[in-house]
Parts: sequence; structure tokens; C-alpha cells
Amino acid sequence: MSVNAVEQAVAAPRRASLQLVHDVQQLLYREARLLDEQRYDDWFELMEDDFRLWIPVPQSRYRRDGQGIYEPRRMAHFDDSLSELKLRASRWKETTAWSEDPPTRHVHYVTNIEVEPAEAAAEWLVHSVVISLRNRNEDEENWLGGRREDVIRETAAGLKLAGRKVFVTQSVLMAKNFNTFL
Amino acid sequence: MADILQAKPAPPAATLDYHRLVDVENGWIDRRIFWDEGIYQLELERIFARCWVFVGHESQFAAPGDFVTTYIGQDAVIAAKDRQGAINVFLNSCSHRGNRVCFAEAGNTRRFTCNFHGWAFGLDGGLLGVHEEEQYSACATFDKSKLGLHRARVGIYKGLVFATFDAEAPSLDEYLGDYRYYLDVLLDNDASGTEFIEGNVKSRLGCNWKFAAENFVGDAYHAGWTHASAAAAIFKKDVKVNIERSYQANVNGHGTEFGLDLIGNAMGLAEPEVVEYLKENEARFAERLGKLRSRMVGAMSSSNVFPNLAYLTGFNTWRTWTPKGPHEIELHTWVLVNKDMPERLKEAYRRGVSRTFSPTGMFESDDGENWEHCTRSNAGVVTRRQKLHYGLGMDSRMEHEEFPGAVHRVQLNDANQRAFYRRWADLMSAASWADVSDRSGATR
Repeated sequence: MSVNAVEQAVAAPRRASLQLVHDVQQLLYREARLLDEQRYDDWFELMEDDFRLWIPVPQSRYRRDGQGIYEPRRMAHFDDSLSELKLRASRWKETTAWSEDPPTRHVHYVTNIEVEPAEAAAEWLVHSVVISLRNRNEDEENWLGGRREDVIRETAAGLKLAGRKVFVTQSVLMAKNFNTFL
Repeated sequence: MADILQAKPAPPAATLDYHRLVDVENGWIDRRIFWDEGIYQLELERIFARCWVFVGHESQFAAPGDFVTTYIGQDAVIAAKDRQGAINVFLNSCSHRGNRVCFAEAGNTRRFTCNFHGWAFGLDGGLLGVHEEEQYSACATFDKSKLGLHRARVGIYKGLVFATFDAEAPSLDEYLGDYRYYLDVLLDNDASGTEFIEGNVKSRLGCNWKFAAENFVGDAYHAGWTHASAAAAIFKKDVKVNIERSYQANVNGHGTEFGLDLIGNAMGLAEPEVVEYLKENEARFAERLGKLRSRMVGAMSSSNVFPNLAYLTGFNTWRTWTPKGPHEIELHTWVLVNKDMPERLKEAYRRGVSRTFSPTGMFESDDGENWEHCTRSNAGVVTRRQKLHYGLGMDSRMEHEEFPGAVHRVQLNDANQRAFYRRWADLMSAASWADVSDRSGATR
């Protein structure tokens, strides 16, 4: 986890081409729009079957502390397989999802995209920053930002998301809920 | 300006008639208790600075020097384990200029040193030393033994660590009283004892703390409606309460509403292993808890320990509603497991709670919406004059051969909520603990 540890130099010979960087950007932008439009079934189409989403809850700890801000065994906002994410999203399709009607208005903003080689030959480690802006009802507004680390895989069907970690900055989520994905 | 000068001042909150604001005999509640700043300030004095408030679980203090920071009401506190193995709770505010002395939420340390002038405090809150200490050699009022951080009383019940700032408060055992029978459903169903899974989820809600507490103390009624979408997604059917075999019980404002269905809540985790575990171990639970209570271990239920500690059997989530003002709370969510559960099962609870009862969870995201708007609507002066109806199950009191406290028929009931508010009114009206009525078995 590069957020906790000093980053190791990767000695891989591959370098992302301009075309690949462009394709990755377009994938992330399209994905953001699908989330904004709450088209979750289409969003899931961008994932490989082994996709996992991990969004740990950060802890405020001293620098001298042996534990990091983000640790895998702790409570998390998300630590889900693809099928578990689909279960979560299935609730929003119910007409009885009262708190989603009228719907929340979403903008997912993606920036600071870097494409680096990953360990597996057909995979790329993609860093980005994501910011979610939500507005609900009359005047409710929530912001949440985080650093993403995605694994993006080249497949016969094009680029697919194979894994995602999001390191959000809020230790206390400054909202009553978080009703979208990052 | 003249209007302001001539306006009649509102009565000080201490002189209000709390048993009229909270009319439990007839089941009506005055909305001002969810909005008024003066009432809120008195709650900090008479509820939070007086009751036993949950600060952590013993498993968070494995080694000497382990600490967490938390709040008792709006008083920031540190809970730390010392070299003798005792857990101490004291104010997180320097005795010199009042600065916060610990900014981490958890960790391990030998001392807490203030950033401002280097005053250093030990694991029991005592003052160990200060920067440039020799300058104080001629200072008659500089007595290190009297300049420690103000300490709370600490009590532990089966792993749960509580603290109170009130020297007159009854012992923790007396404070929990017969409610311990219900707490043991989760705290003592296994010989290995319990632990918290590491970390927690923290979130802010724009609601009065009592809406959250009353929801858990006895609002089974909302589950079938508010959570209809989550139930449809997970169970593929509606939530139905068993009218014949479900209850509410309360003791001094603590309360639980429950069925005897063993797995009703646990099914909601959508983790089949948890349900299997409960079924396989029912007989073993019964050896410790008796047959009836063994049926509660994962049952459809919710509970709140007065004032602001809540939990759900089956999901095994424990949470606190910490007030941040009359219209805001911070919600902390933990997961409790039996120590000797297999790791896979602990993982199932950890991930299951995130998916259900956390801010991203399928159930919880609907709750916050309700509580916020139950609170915010009271900004309206005319709205605030309209009393709220808490009259369900007025004549549901029953005697039960085993269940202690005031027991009521049927989970769908406002009885526990009335009992919660009666306790609240008792404390708000009382100048000291000696004036607080015993409500260990007395609600309609």
C-alpha cells in the first residue's frame, strides 16, 4: 500500500503508450459518468469477475505508531467482491428505497491519472484522484475525496477494472451516509 | 432592538417541567426536546456528565500504554491502560492552558505530552513533568500531584468499559441492574469472551442524539417500512414481526425489543456462515444462557443502553451516538465477536456489517435520512408546537416468568421509547443522583 509505505522503485521495463493512457482516461471518465447517472448494471460491465473494491476507514495515528493510517484487517467502508457490490446496488432498484427518491444528484470527478506497469504482463497500476459531490433534497451537500489505486487489465473485450483501492481522506465521514461508489 | 429588550426570556432549562415535555402516561412528546439549545446544554450536565457512558472494549487495551480517545458528551477523554493493567479515563485537555493533549484516535504510548508547553501526563492522567520545570521552583501553587488531568470513574462489565464523571453515580453493576440479563445475550454466550474487530466506522449525522437512541431502544416498527428496500434485496421478502412471540423489555431507560427467532437479524448480514454458526451453537448458547435466551443470540432485535450505546444481535454491531450539539451526532460503529470464533467467521461479521449497518450499508443509509429530517423540521416554530405521538402499545405490559424489567407484549410498540424518555425526564429533573427515581420495572 503506497499510501502507508515509502514507495518502492518498480524495475519493470514496460511503459504506458500515449494511446493506452488515453484509453485508461476514457475508461475512468466513462465510469464516472455511469456512476453519476446511477447506471450500476452498466458500471459492473466494466469489471472483471475477480474485481474487489476496498475503501478502508482511515485512522488518525501518530507517525511513530507501528500501524498505518489504512490497515486491511480494520473496519472498512467497502471490502466487497463484485457479487457483493451488485447486492448493494440491487437495493437502489427497489421502489421502496425511500431515501433514493427523489434521487441524489451525483458528480464523480476523476483527475491526476498516472499509468504504471503492474506485476502481471497484461495489467496496469493506475493512480488517480476521485472526488464525489452529492446533493440531496433542498440544500444537502457532501464532498468526499480519495486517492484511487486501480488495477486495469487488457482483455479481449478491451480494458477492464480488475481491482480498486480508494484511500479517502475523511477519518470521520462528514455525512449521514455514502450512497454511491468511488 | 426594543423588541429584543422586552421579549420575555425563555425559562432556564433547569426549571422546565420535563415530565410534562415528555408525557409518557399519555404518550405525547414535546418537540422542543429535540431542538432547544438550553435543553441540550442541560443534557450535557445531567445526562452525559452523570451517567455511565461507554468508552471502549477491553480488547482495545491489550498491552500497557494502549489508548483510545473518545468523548463523554462533548468532553474529550483519553482511555489508557497503565503498567498495573488498570484502564484509566481522564480529560483530554491540558491542566495548564486547556489544549488537547492527544490527537491520535488510538495507539500505544508512555505519556501524553501537550504540544503547547510540553506538559507531560502519564497513563493515569497524572502530571509527570513540564518543559523548563526549574522555572516553577518558586511557584507555590505548582503542585504536580494536583495538576493531573481530571479523572472519571471507570467500570467494566464483561468486556465493555464505561466511565462516569459523577462521584455520586451508583456502581456500574447497579446502573445496568437487571438489564445485564439482556446484555449477556451477546457478551456471555461463549466461554471465550468477546472482542472488538479492529477499527470502527465514524460518521456525522445532522440529528438530535435521542432520535438515534430511541430508534434502537424500541423501534421495531420502522424496520418493515424504512428498510423495505434492503429487506427486498437481501431476503427477497418483507420483514414480518412475530406478534405471538416478540417482546419489549426495559430497565431504567435501557431497553431491548426482540424476537426469539435465533437468526432473524443474522440473515440480514447475507453471510450464510453466520447463520450456520448460530444454528450449530444454539445448544451451547443454551448451556450458558438458558433455552429462552439462546434464541435471542442472532434474533430480530435492537437495543440501547442508556444514554447512547446501542447494539444489534445477529449483526453484532455496537455503536455510540455522541452528541456534537442539539442537531448533530457522531456515530461510531464497531463489530463484536466471540474471541474463539474462526477467523473466517470474524471476517464475515466485519464485512457483513460494512454492507448493512455502516454509512455505506444497505440498512443504515435509510436511517440517517429519517433522523435528520425528524430533527430539522423543528426549525419551524409552529411545527415545534405540534406534539409527537408515542402512544403505541399503551396497555401491553405483561408479566413474564423469566424476562426481567418491565416487559411488554409485541415488538411493535412504543413502550421502550416511553421508558427511555421517562428515564431522560427523571435525570433532567433531578439535581443529584439521590433524586433520580428507580425505574427498574415500572413503565406502562
